[in-house]
Amino acid sequence: MTTELSNFAARLREIILSEGRVPRGPDSELRTPNSELRNHNGDSCNSPLRDFNSLALELFALQFQHNAAYRKICEARGLTPEVVEHWTRIPAVPTSAFKELELTCLAPAERTAVFHSSGTTEQKPSRHFHNAESLAVYEASLWVWFEKRFLRSADSLSASSEKRGQAVRAPLVILTPSPMQAPHSSLVHMFETVRQKLGGASVPALSSRRSRWGGEGGSRAEFPGSIAADGSWVLDFDAALKALRESCANGKPLIMLGTAFSFVHLLDFLAEQDLRFQLPAGSQVMETGGYKNRSRSLPKAELHQLITERLGVPPSHIICEYGMSELSSQAYDRVAGDGWRVTDKDSTPRHSTLVTRHFLFPPWVRLQIVSPETGYEVAEGETGLIRVFDLANVFSVMAIQTEDLGIRRAEHFELIGRAALAEPRGCSLMVAETRKS
Amino acid sequence: MNLPNYFLADLPPEAVLSPAMVTEACRTLKRNRAQYLAQRSTASLVGVLCDVAEAWLKPDNAFRRLALESGPEKTGFSQATLQKGLDNFFHQFTPENFHALLVQELGDARRLDRFVACGGDVPVAGVSGFGSNRAALAVGPELLVHIAAGNLPNPALMSMVLGLLTRSAQFVKCAHAAAFLPRLFAHSIYDADTKLGACLEIAEWHGGNVELEAALFAEADCVTATGSDETLAAIRLCLPVKTRFLSYGHRVSFGFVAGAVLHGSHTRQIISRAADDVVAWNQLGCLSPHVVYVQTGGEVSPEKFAELLADELERREQTEPRGELPAEHAATIASRRGIYEVRAAHSPETTQHWCSRNSTAWTVVYEADARFQLSCLNRFIYVKGVRDLTEALQNAETVRGQVSTVGLAVPEHKLEELAAQLARWGATRVCPLGRMQNPPLTWRHDGRPALGDLVTWTDMEMG
Repeated sequence: MTTELSNFAARLREIILSEGRVPRGPDSELRTPNSELRNHNGDSCNSPLRDFNSLALELFALQFQHNAAYRKICEARGLTPEVVEHWTRIPAVPTSAFKELELTCLAPAERTAVFHSSGTTEQKPSRHFHNAESLAVYEASLWVWFEKRFLRSADSLSASSEKRGQAVRAPLVILTPSPMQAPHSSLVHMFETVRQKLGGASVPALSSRRSRWGGEGGSRAEFPGSIAADGSWVLDFDAALKALRESCANGKPLIMLGTAFSFVHLLDFLAEQDLRFQLPAGSQVMETGGYKNRSRSLPKAELHQLITERLGVPPSHIICEYGMSELSSQAYDRVAGDGWRVTDKDSTPRHSTLVTRHFLFPPWVRLQIVSPETGYEVAEGETGLIRVFDLANVFSVMAIQTEDLGIRRAEHFELIGRAALAEPRGCSLMVAETRKS
Repeated sequence: MNLPNYFLADLPPEAVLSPAMVTEACRTLKRNRAQYLAQRSTASLVGVLCDVAEAWLKPDNAFRRLALESGPEKTGFSQATLQKGLDNFFHQFTPENFHALLVQELGDARRLDRFVACGGDVPVAGVSGFGSNRAALAVGPELLVHIAAGNLPNPALMSMVLGLLTRSAQFVKCAHAAAFLPRLFAHSIYDADTKLGACLEIAEWHGGNVELEAALFAEADCVTATGSDETLAAIRLCLPVKTRFLSYGHRVSFGFVAGAVLHGSHTRQIISRAADDVVAWNQLGCLSPHVVYVQTGGEVSPEKFAELLADELERREQTEPRGELPAEHAATIASRRGIYEVRAAHSPETTQHWCSRNSTAWTVVYEADARFQLSCLNRFIYVKGVRDLTEALQNAETVRGQVSTVGLAVPEHKLEELAAQLARWGATRVCPLGRMQNPPLTWRHDGRPALGDLVTWTDMEMG
């Protein structure tokens, strides 16, 4: 690793944190058709992120120099820092490449943490290596945007909005295993960072976490998930129920974070037990990810409807996150309430099915929707593959080509789904998915 | 051309099918069969089928024109792909081929018409002592139900043909949005012979509609189905015990090219045949190759073969374009190409790839790793080098038992030996490279009898 990259990481972290200090809510989005600015949300006019291009090209040059695996891909495409003049031309690596290559600027000895993708056990997982500096950027990135897009959105929506000072002490339920049980999950690391920022007990640094993590940080009530013998994530329903009951009893709004499949597990359990909760006003839910065959699959709208029915959290307080282990930043879908309040005051939909959910990345991220046929950016409103340029991926690769399909909607994007059968797989799986003549 | 409303699939899209409608359709089919079909002779049925096919092959035929004009939009295949696929299919319909099919399946072409003894003699009233003291007559199911998969039209059309030969009333349940060509074929039969057409029903709905399927299965004597293992298992569970069930599950196919045939002008011919197999029906059928194994040590290396195949696929794209794909399928190809691009950049000695420019129209991947790899199809082909067929089969062990067709390009004197090796290994069809997606009328689907599985025999023993 080099001083240059460390310097870049430190600078970027400062920029991200300063973005977090900009006193703008989600309703004051900067809306402009200019592609340079269209991903910006709430960044100040003087923000260094106004010159995303310079930052991106600077980082590209550093990654080209220090990430050997990435350099080979760039050279094969004939796209080197000498010829790339705009961030849109920076070579994007497919997420699948993280499974096969060590796409990192960190020397083996410097890698203190690694996040894996949550694939099936038959497949090689992605590996995204980190050290303390890169985790610091990741944590800054995830927290600033979580705070702005998730926490503050509820503030601005709730009629009885609490002040931020109070909100940060909201009790949390995180429907995943604890960081000790899932040290290689970038999602769990994110939730743990959020938990600490929201006033949870402090925990030792990641490097020593395995040995010292315990009773105080990340209690059973906060992480009612665990890992089953087969490696799957399961929920301790009793612990989850306890947290739900406590919240209802003391009237304190609850924040629930989890994967879509863990919510399905919980909701199915509540249905089985014929239990319904009315969580206190201001309670919020964040769900993320697909089902990965870990639960029955159901459309987002149906999941959200069940959350509303069983937990009493209205659609406006349910937010989806889009993230992956190969990135260091996340997108949240546009607060459902924004749209209706602005466009249709008189007929507020009661139900999330009536609201199209659009995602937004933070201003240190740019997004392209590219044609799977040509690789070129498609027009707004057309379906294509999502390509992400995440400056917070300082020590790996900034430009990531996902296998997800999306549609650009102004500065937001709509998530359509994932390309099926993309990855060559072990035959037992492959054959199960063969098309039949 | 507007198709008249003969079949359930002709109803406007907003029409909702009910179980009662399905039951009523089945009973009407049975009545019509008793009246119009049960007593028909094999010769007259073969005559109608050959006439229908001949009509389809004429450029100005209304059904053909509709298939080619609306087909690209309705099926996703380009006009050229549809034309070639349908022409290859209908060219098979000759009296000679039907005769061969009947003899192969029933031992004697007359056995659906009357009792025929083993020696071919027919019993004559009052005369005993003909060649054998035993004769047999084959009878088809009264109501034959087909649950057709969506990818290609041919399997559904062929099922209908076999069912007509066995004098069965037939209900063809097509996959959602996949009824277009089966429906046109049924209309063309109706047009040629109204009474035969009245013994056919075509409908489409999303598979797994329990109520409609229960109504259908309750009336069926025999059900054929193609689809995933899950689909087949679900259907099996819903069938009454007395109902015969013929299921056709997952199958994959591959090609094998011997090094000895790749020399001089032959090379170009072999490459062209490999391209035929990749292009036919956009590689979407079970009979289409996922991988072409090329023997090493010949004049043309597997890598060179892959490169030449890429050139040929590019030429084919000009004359027989693949057609547009939905974004999610194109995304699958793009994502998989991404993987091989990365591998090729890092280890070009073991991975190379060739792609159509600015489109996903075709892709060739050369891999030194000879393990069988499932393609994402739509003209995405793997080329892998092996020492011999034995090594190819070792690498295809993961799909053993699920291989339908192996397309061979090998020296003639080696053909029988290699075919026997493949047969013992478990492949159910061996054919020349270039004809993989074009099986003859006599083809035994998945190695099972074509008519033999449909009929029930009545043996007559003479005193």
